[in-house]
Amino acid sequence: MASSARFPVKSTQLVATIGGVKTDVVQCNYDDHIMIIVTQIGKMGTLLHARKEEGYGTAPTFNISVLMGKRDEPLMATCARQLIEQMSKTGSSRPLILSLGLSDHSAETLKEVIKVVVENKIW
Amino acid sequence: MDKEADAAPTPDMEPGLEMTQFSDESNDSTFHFQILRLVDQLYVWIGCNSARMGNLFAALPTRWDKTASVAALVGGGAESTGASMARRLSMRTGWSIILSSNLPSNAPVLEAFAEQRLFQELRTLGYVKSASKTSSGAATSLTPV
Repeated sequence: MASSARFPVKSTQLVATIGGVKTDVVQCNYDDHIMIIVTQIGKMGTLLHARKEEGYGTAPTFNISVLMGKRDEPLMATCARQLIEQMSKTGSSRPLILSLGLSDHSAETLKEVIKVVVENKIW
Repeated sequence: MDKEADAAPTPDMEPGLEMTQFSDESNDSTFHFQILRLVDQLYVWIGCNSARMGNLFAALPTRWDKTASVAALVGGGAESTGASMARRLSMRTGWSIILSSNLPSNAPVLEAFAEQRLFQELRTLGYVKSASKTSSGAATSLTPV
């Protein structure tokens, strides 16, 4: 019954040290979304939604919105923006749900987050 | 620093999040469940015959109301399913719930089965206390008051 071999959603879980803090990264590959949870506080924290908007003959644009959580940290939106761009460059046009539960929101931390996720990409 | 984590996980570098995945069949449909345990939070995905994420809901217990508050984060139109399930999950666990589900909108039987099966697993995992009066949260919620 619980056969993870034919479970339709691929998911990975890894642990990294970002800014000296233990960080859990969970990624799930759904048919219509990519879900990435990055947490240092053990909670989902801020939920962001990022999607690619394609136009005819124009460069694609990216739309980022905060679904829930902190709206006064522009660097988190930047993080989602960088990740959706990376995803679109490497062949996935699915929207991204990104959950960031970080203990600090410095540029260095978010750069590390992007690095770890891209190095272990699931899309 | 990342290489360390990849190569040999030291004891304190073990994943801190418990992920449970399972599938079950009922009414000619295959259900897939994903449960991720966070600190006082639960991320749950329910898939019915597909690997689509579907609608995304958040349900949070509040101090002011006996029932939990629910918000639709992705999708969640009038016909979407899952909002009430997210509410009940939050009320039964006392935690914040992020629920995504792609259950069909006109199939209460499937919805009831999914909820019953999910609560069964949550009891096994010890995330909810076993209900003393009935084994099925879905069945009780379906009976008219």
